[in-house]
Amino acid sequence: MNLLQLALKNISGNSFRSGVVSLCAFLVAAFALTTTLLMRGAETSLRLALDRLGADIVVVPAGSEAKIESALLMGVPVKFWMPEDNVHKIAAIPGIEAVSPQLYLATLTGASCCSVSDMFMIAYDPLTDFTIQPWLEQNFGDDLRLGEVVGGSYISATEGDQNIKIYGYLVTLKANLEPTGTGLDQSMFFTFNTAYDIASKSATQADEQLVIPPDSISAVLIKAAPGSDLYALSAHIMREVSDVTPILSSNMFQSYRQQMTGLLKTILVIMAITWGLSIVLIGLIFSMAANERRKELGVIRAIGATRRFVFQSLLMEASLLAFAGGATGIALSVLSVTIFRNLLISSLGFPFLLPSPAVLFLQIGIGLVLALFSVNLAALFPAIKISRQDPAIAMRE
Amino acid sequence: MRKLMGGISIVLALVIGILPAFTDCQSQGRSLELANGKTVPMKCHWTGIASIGVAVPLGLVGLSEILSKRKETFNILSMFGVVLGALAILFPTVLIGVCANPDMVCNMIMKPALILSGTLAVGASMIFFVSTRKTMEPAA
Repeated sequence: MNLLQLALKNISGNSFRSGVVSLCAFLVAAFALTTTLLMRGAETSLRLALDRLGADIVVVPAGSEAKIESALLMGVPVKFWMPEDNVHKIAAIPGIEAVSPQLYLATLTGASCCSVSDMFMIAYDPLTDFTIQPWLEQNFGDDLRLGEVVGGSYISATEGDQNIKIYGYLVTLKANLEPTGTGLDQSMFFTFNTAYDIASKSATQADEQLVIPPDSISAVLIKAAPGSDLYALSAHIMREVSDVTPILSSNMFQSYRQQMTGLLKTILVIMAITWGLSIVLIGLIFSMAANERRKELGVIRAIGATRRFVFQSLLMEASLLAFAGGATGIALSVLSVTIFRNLLISSLGFPFLLPSPAVLFLQIGIGLVLALFSVNLAALFPAIKISRQDPAIAMRE
Repeated sequence: MRKLMGGISIVLALVIGILPAFTDCQSQGRSLELANGKTVPMKCHWTGIASIGVAVPLGLVGLSEILSKRKETFNILSMFGVVLGALAILFPTVLIGVCANPDMVCNMIMKPALILSGTLAVGASMIFFVSTRKTMEPAA
């Protein structure tokens, strides 16, 4: 009988004990991987959203800071306005390389003139834009024409093969952006001209007119000159332009970061407690099992098995149980996080993006190693103790 | 082992049969309005109805697994479990589907819950099928 066969016989010999050890490995692996998938996925989402924004500073009307974060991160439509003149005032500030205004709009809720309900829409100025335009030029070598739109990764045509109806106006979906895991995936981008055309035609074509106040914009995106002090620039903007708030991209999504940090701390505490209790429980189970099997292991030693063989058989048993429990936990964790992603995003209140297959395999590997390490660590002391025992004494007891 | 598998099948059958009734768009008061003013249920509702058609036999399979004495019977029941679990996955994904909007309750809860329950039913049935076959004694 080899090591593996002996370990398998021991596992099937006491299914309850084996089940409890596997369950502990299941909990440790599943908890660790779920936490990693959520937290790393949320970090990736925030980073991609900031990259997509492509600005060093975003200037919004005072009091709209939380609204813009919700719109960009969760796709919650917002409408706020400030005078268009602010663009020229900001552009005149030294240390600013480029400025570009944007309009934030939303489709109607449950109206027959909009084939998508409550969608966040961003209109940009193609003459000054440095966020969508470079991506379009790089991928299509062309700009958006009147009536053409670019959608987030979730946006698809609803009218025919390429069209979407907004305020009774048919726009053509030209391309989809890469997923960020944030609300930007459910948003739509088009030029100022398209926005004004939709607004003018909505008076006759839509259930409710799209109103864009004259000479108004929603936000100004700023790219700072290389080497500029962003904090000094923000202070300068606040002095020069009234009733606006400049948000540094590094400070963007602070409320979400705080929410994530709070959740992470709680999860880490729960995980540490689960991990500690699992190790103690597995250690106790293996100690009890080793004591129960003193005579049996004594006989195995007496018929020629070495200490090393007994030690290895116990660790092999622990490894098999850890692998079975850990693999099941990891499989369920990945499956659950993947298929319940939308529910998790809406419940947790922050978006997250699933990792690439390569990163996922790495995380799965780390989860399995953690399960194997935890169970083997717990089984190590009982295995050393029982393997060092004199076979004659063990059989006599 | 048979009791455990039977219990798992019955629990999964309850989830597959009951959960869609509370998580389809019809249960949230949403339906499609036709041009003539009549309303019809969205397709997630029909997936929910079809899921009951999977849940009832799966529950019976679970009950039979608990009562079965012969390993051959248990093996056949396990294969039924695999097929019914696969159907629970296929109804919301391929055969009927759910509503298109990813923010709807059928997309957020019903579809993933049916996929998870179906996967568990398939996985558990296959594991028990393989492990029972290994311990089966050869026929005399």
